[in-house]
Amino acid sequence: MEDDRRVGDLVGELVYRLQSDSLSPHSNSNPNPNSEDVKYAIRILSSRMTPLVVANEAAMANSIKSQMAKQGKLSDALSFADLYSRFASKTGPGSVKNKRAVLYLLKVISEDRSSNPKFQTDRSFTDLDTNENRSTDLKDNSRSWNDNLRALRDQNSRKLKNGGVLFISRDPDDMRDMAYREFATLVNMENDVSEEVLVSDVLSVCQGIDGKYVKFDANVDGYLLPNSIKVPKATRIMIRKLCELGWLYQKVIGYISDNLDGFSSENVGKVAKAFCSALQDELLGYDKLLTVLQSHDLSLRRLSVWLVEPMVKMRRMAVLVDSCRSLKGGAMAGAIHLHAQHGDPLLHDFMKQLLQKLSSPLFEMVRSWVLEGDLQDSYSEFFISEQSVKPESLWREGYKVNHLMLPSFISKSLAHQILRTGKSINFLKVCCNDHSWAELSTEAVSATWTNPKRRGLGYGETNALESLVTESSKRIDKHLMDVVFNQYKFKEHCLAIKHYILLGQGDFVQYLMEVIEPVLMEPANTISLLHLSGLLQKSILSSSAQYDNPDILDRLTVKMMPHGTNRIKDIGWDVFSLDYDPRVPLNTIFTESAMGNYLKIFNFLWKIRRVEHGILRSWKAMKPNLSTSLLTKLPKGVKFQVVLRRCQVLWGQMSHFLTNLQSYVMFEVLEVSWDKFCNEMKASKDLDDLIDAHDKYLSSIIEKSLLGESCKDLIKTLLMLFDVILRFTSVLDRFYEGINEFGSSKNKMKKGKGLKSKSLETDSWVNEGRKAVTQRAGEFLKNMGHDFDEISKEYLLLLKGFICQLPMQQHVDLKFLLFRLDFTEIHV
Amino acid sequence: MPREIITLQVGQCGNQIGMEFWKQLCLEHGISKDGILEDFATQGGDRKDVFFYQADDQHYIPRALLMDLEPRVINGIQTGEYRNLYNHENIFTSKEGGGAGNNWASGYHQGKNFEEDLMDMIDREADGSDSLEGFVLCHSIAGGTGSGMGSYLLETLNDRYSKKLVQTYSVFPNQNETSDVVVQPYNSLLTLKRLTLNADCVVVLDNTALNRIAVERLHIQNPSVSQTNSLVSTVMSASTTTLRYPGYMNNDLVGLLASLIPTPRCHFLMTGYTPLTVERQANMIRKTTVLDVMRRLLQTKNIMVSSHARTKEASQAKYISILNIIQGEVDPTQVHDSLQRIRERKLVNFIEWGPASIQVALSRKSPYVQTAHRVSGLMLASYTGIRHLFSKCLSQYSLLRKRQAFLDKYRGFPLFDDNDLSEFDESRDVIESLVDEYKACESPDYIKWGMEDPDHILTGEGSATGTVDPKLAM
Repeated sequence: MEDDRRVGDLVGELVYRLQSDSLSPHSNSNPNPNSEDVKYAIRILSSRMTPLVVANEAAMANSIKSQMAKQGKLSDALSFADLYSRFASKTGPGSVKNKRAVLYLLKVISEDRSSNPKFQTDRSFTDLDTNENRSTDLKDNSRSWNDNLRALRDQNSRKLKNGGVLFISRDPDDMRDMAYREFATLVNMENDVSEEVLVSDVLSVCQGIDGKYVKFDANVDGYLLPNSIKVPKATRIMIRKLCELGWLYQKVIGYISDNLDGFSSENVGKVAKAFCSALQDELLGYDKLLTVLQSHDLSLRRLSVWLVEPMVKMRRMAVLVDSCRSLKGGAMAGAIHLHAQHGDPLLHDFMKQLLQKLSSPLFEMVRSWVLEGDLQDSYSEFFISEQSVKPESLWREGYKVNHLMLPSFISKSLAHQILRTGKSINFLKVCCNDHSWAELSTEAVSATWTNPKRRGLGYGETNALESLVTESSKRIDKHLMDVVFNQYKFKEHCLAIKHYILLGQGDFVQYLMEVIEPVLMEPANTISLLHLSGLLQKSILSSSAQYDNPDILDRLTVKMMPHGTNRIKDIGWDVFSLDYDPRVPLNTIFTESAMGNYLKIFNFLWKIRRVEHGILRSWKAMKPNLSTSLLTKLPKGVKFQVVLRRCQVLWGQMSHFLTNLQSYVMFEVLEVSWDKFCNEMKASKDLDDLIDAHDKYLSSIIEKSLLGESCKDLIKTLLMLFDVILRFTSVLDRFYEGINEFGSSKNKMKKGKGLKSKSLETDSWVNEGRKAVTQRAGEFLKNMGHDFDEISKEYLLLLKGFICQLPMQQHVDLKFLLFRLDFTEIHV
Repeated sequence: MPREIITLQVGQCGNQIGMEFWKQLCLEHGISKDGILEDFATQGGDRKDVFFYQADDQHYIPRALLMDLEPRVINGIQTGEYRNLYNHENIFTSKEGGGAGNNWASGYHQGKNFEEDLMDMIDREADGSDSLEGFVLCHSIAGGTGSGMGSYLLETLNDRYSKKLVQTYSVFPNQNETSDVVVQPYNSLLTLKRLTLNADCVVVLDNTALNRIAVERLHIQNPSVSQTNSLVSTVMSASTTTLRYPGYMNNDLVGLLASLIPTPRCHFLMTGYTPLTVERQANMIRKTTVLDVMRRLLQTKNIMVSSHARTKEASQAKYISILNIIQGEVDPTQVHDSLQRIRERKLVNFIEWGPASIQVALSRKSPYVQTAHRVSGLMLASYTGIRHLFSKCLSQYSLLRKRQAFLDKYRGFPLFDDNDLSEFDESRDVIESLVDEYKACESPDYIKWGMEDPDHILTGEGSATGTVDPKLAM
C-alpha cells in the first residue's frame, strides 16, 4: 500500500516537474494528484503494454524517426536522432537499462495522442513525445523553419535548466564530452583557422555575404576557402558543400530584386510578383534561422545537419527561379506546378504553399472573367486573350484560349468552358445589350459555395473552380440562348431566310420573277438598284409575304453583285441577288461568309427558277386548248403535228428534269436539312452549339445542291443544261410564232373568200396562194425540225453526261437525285 | 397580284359541287358563312385572294359565277345558310326558268342566247382581278345546262380569253344505273368534244366510281347526291391546296398542270384520295404514313374514275404523270423512302417514251379544320387507262345513234339545222382520235405515232401529198 502511494507521489511529482519545466499554462505550484495529467500518467504506468513483436532498440528508434519524417517533421526527426544517439550512448550506473522499453513507451504514447484528439492540445504530454519542448498544434503554417528554431532554443534552455527528461539521464561527469572538447582544441591548434571562425564564415556566406576567409570566387562560380589556408580536406569539402547554399541564396535574391526593384519591374506580371513575395516570405524564415544559428556554438558538422532542410528548399527555389526566369502568368504557374509533382512530402507541401500564393492573381482573373466577363490582364498573363474586333466578330475572334498561358492544373476543356462563359457575358453586354446576366452570376456563386464566408478560388481547389464554372456557364449559356431565340428571334430569321433567300415562299418568288424578268434582260449597267428595290416591294405586297413581320421584310433587300470584269456585257440576270441583313447580334451566326453562302444558294435556286419560268411559259404558249385550235387553222398537208409532238416530247423531258431537280432540292436538300437543323437548334445548349448547327445546316445545303468544291464538273454540266433548255424555249417561241403566222394567213384567205370553213377551196388564185403557203410552211418546218434535232441531241448528250457523273459523287444524297431523274430507268 | 382563279359553276350538278367546294374553302380559311374572317383565323400563311376577293367592308367574296337555266338549286343557295357569301350580281338564272330539259342542244343554244349576259358577268369578274390566271368550270357532262351551256362557255372562253387557263371539274354519269336522262350518251359525247378541244385540263369525276366509293369504302347503302358531291368538293379543295398554301413548288395553276400534261391533248386527269370520309364519318381513325398514303392512292378502289377496261387492256395502261399532294405533318425524309419502295415494288406502270415519275407536293393542312388523320393525300394523274371511259361513252353513243333514237330533240336547234348531224360525227371523230392518242401513249413508239398514218392528224385533214422531209422522222 505504502509502495503504491509512493509511486503515485513520485508520478505526481514527475508530472509537476515536467509541467513547470515547460511553458505550459498548466504549471501549478503544487502537484495535484487528481489532475488529468497525473491520472493519465498513472494509467499509462499501470497498463500492461507489451509490444506484439519484440523489436530491438535501434529498430524502434528508426521507426519513430521515419514516422516523424513521414509526417513532414523533418527537423523533429533530426532532433530525435540526435537525442537518441546521446541517450543510447549513456551506459553504466545511473543510466536507463531498458532503453527499448522507454522508446516503446514514447512511441505508444505518441500514437495514443495522435489517435486521441483530446490530448492534441495538451502541451504537457507533447514533451514526452520527442524528448523536447515542441508542439504539433502550432497554428503557424510555415512550421519547418520555426521547428528548427524552437528545437535549438529548447536545447539551450535545457542546458541552462538541466530540466526535462534529460535530467533523468544526466551524467555530470561526462568523460566523453570532455575528451571531445580536448580533441577539438588539439585539432584547432593544427589548423590555420579555428572551426568557430569557419562556422561563422559559412553562416555569413549562406546569407550571401563573403566571410573572413570563405569568399566568392568568380572563376569557379562559387564560394571557396582559399587553398592558402590550411584545413583538413574533409573540412574543405564540407565548407564547399555548405557554401552552395549561399550561391543558391544569391540566385534567389537576385531574381527577387530583378523583378521587384529592377528596371523592368514595371513589366513584371502579377503572378511573378506574387511568386517573388512568396519567395521573400521563405527567405525571411531562412534568415531568422541563420540568425539563431549564428548565436549558437556549433561545429561545422552540426551546422551541416541544420542546413540539410534549408538546402533542399533553397535548391528547389533556385531551380524554380531558373526555370521561370523567362516565364510569366499562367505559363509560370504551370511550370511551377510541374515541379510540385514530387513524392517528397516536405517538398510537396512547400510547393503547394508557394503555388497557392503565386497563382492567386490567376484565380482572381478567372473569377472576374467567369462572373463578370472582366478581363484585367495588363501583363497578358491570363490564358484567355482578347482581340479588339467588331461586334459581329466578337464571338468568333474576340477571345481565345492562349495555350501558352494555360497552366497545366487547368484542363483544356475546363479552359474552353471558362472562355465561353466569359465570352457569353461579353456577348450579352456588347452585342445583345443585355444586363440581366448579373443576377445569374450571383446565383452561380451561391450555388457553388453554400457558406457565404468561404468564397474563394485557389490552387488545389479544383472542385470549387469546376463547380463555379459549371454553375455559371449553365446559367449564362441558357440565358444567352433565351435572348437569341426570344429577344432576337433567331428561328424566325432562319425561316425568313428560308422563305426569301432559299425561295421557300413560292408565291412571292413567282411574282418577283414575273415583274423582274423583263428588267433583268437589260444590260447590268443600265439597271437601277432603286427600280429593282421597288419591284421587290411590289412583290412583297402582292404575295402573302405582306403579312410577314415588318422587321423581317425590312431586312430583305436587292443586291447587285459585282460580276466579272466585263461589266458591260453582263445583263441583269448575272448581277441580281436578294440579300438579307441579319444585324447584330445575329450576324455572329449569320456571318458574312455564311451570308455569302446563302447568296450562292440563292443564285443557284434562282437560276433553276428562271429556267422553270421559261419552260412554263412555253407550255402556256402552246397550252392544250391553244394547240388544238391552232392546228385546225394550219395549212393542210404540212405535218406540223409531227414536229409539234417531237417538241412536246422534248419539252416533257426537260420539264421532267427541272421538276425533279426542284423536288430533289426541296425534299432532299432544303426540307431534310431544315428538319435536322430544327432538331439541333432545339438541342443547342450554348451559342457554340447553335453556330455549329447552323454551319452544318448551311454546308449540308451547299454540298447537296452541287455547290460544293467536289461538284464543280457537275454544276458546270448542269449550267450547260440550263442553257440548252433556255435556248430550246426561245426556239419554241419562234416555232409558235411561225405556226400562228401560218394559221392567221389561212384565216385571212378564208375571210377573203367569205366561205364557211370545211367547204372545199376551189378558186385557182387561192390554190396558188395555198400552194405557196404550203411550200413556205414546209421550208419553215424543215428548218425548225433541224433546230430541234440539234437541241435535242445536245440536251440528251449533256443529260447523259450529268446522269453518268451522279453515281460517282461522294455525297450519298446525290444518288437520290439520280433516282429521281431516272425513276423509270430509261437513262441507264 | 394574286393569280386569281374564277370559278364558273354551271347547271344543277355544277352548282351543287361548287357550293360544297366553297363551304370547304370557307372552313379551311376560317371564313364564316357570311364571308367574315373568324376571330380565331389569325394564323395566316394562307392565300385567300386566289379564290376570294375582299369587298370594302372586309367581306370575303368567292370569285364564283353561279349559272343555271332553272332556279331550283340556285334558289336553294340563295336561301341557304351561305346566302350572304356570294356576290348576288354573280348569279345568273334564266328568266324563263325552264331549264335545258336535259338536252345539250338546248343548253348550248340558250348559252348562245344569253352570251351577252353571261360574258358581262365573266368580264366584270375578270376585270376585277389583277392577274387572272384562269377559269375553273364545274359541271356535269350528261345533263343539259352543265353540258350544253358549259360547252358553249368553254368555246367562248377559249376564244375570248385564249391566254387564260381553263380547267374543268367534269362529272361523268354513272354508267351502272339506268339514268332517267336517256340522251345522256349524246350529251356526253358533244361535251367531251369541247373538253378535248377547248379545255386545258379536265379533272374527271366519274359518278360510277364516286358511287362505288361511297358504297364500298364508306359503307353508305344508297349514297345521296350531296354525299357524292362532298367527295367531289374534297378533291377540288385538295387539288387547290398548293395554290392556297404557298410553298416551294406548284404555287400556280400553270406550275401545277404543266408537268402533269406534257402532251396537250392528253389533258384528262384522274384523281384518287385517301383517307376517304364523308362528313358523318369524320371521326374514323386510320393510321396514315406517307408510304401508306402513296400506296393507297395507287389502288383502284380509291380512284375516282372507274376502269371500264378489260383485264388485258388494263394491264397495258400506263401513267403519263402523277402528282401526289400530301397534306399534314410529314417528315420530308419519308417522301424519298416511300418513292423508293414504290419503285422497288414496281407499283406503277409508267410510259416508256419519256421520263416519268411520281411528283410529290407537300402542303400545309388548314389549322382550323380538325381531322382525325395525320396525313391525307390526293393524286392527280394522267393515265392512259382513262381512254376506256371515253370508249364506253363512244359505244353508248353508237348504240343510240344506230337506232337513230331521240335525235329529234336535237334537230330543233340551230347547230343541227337542216338535219345536219355532222356535229355528232365530228365529235365522235374527235373522241376517237383522243382514244387513239391515249392508246398510242401506251406504246414506246408514241413519238412516231401518226406519221405513217396521216389521217390521224387531229381534224382528219392532211391526206395531201407530203411536203415534209422524210429526215424529220425521228
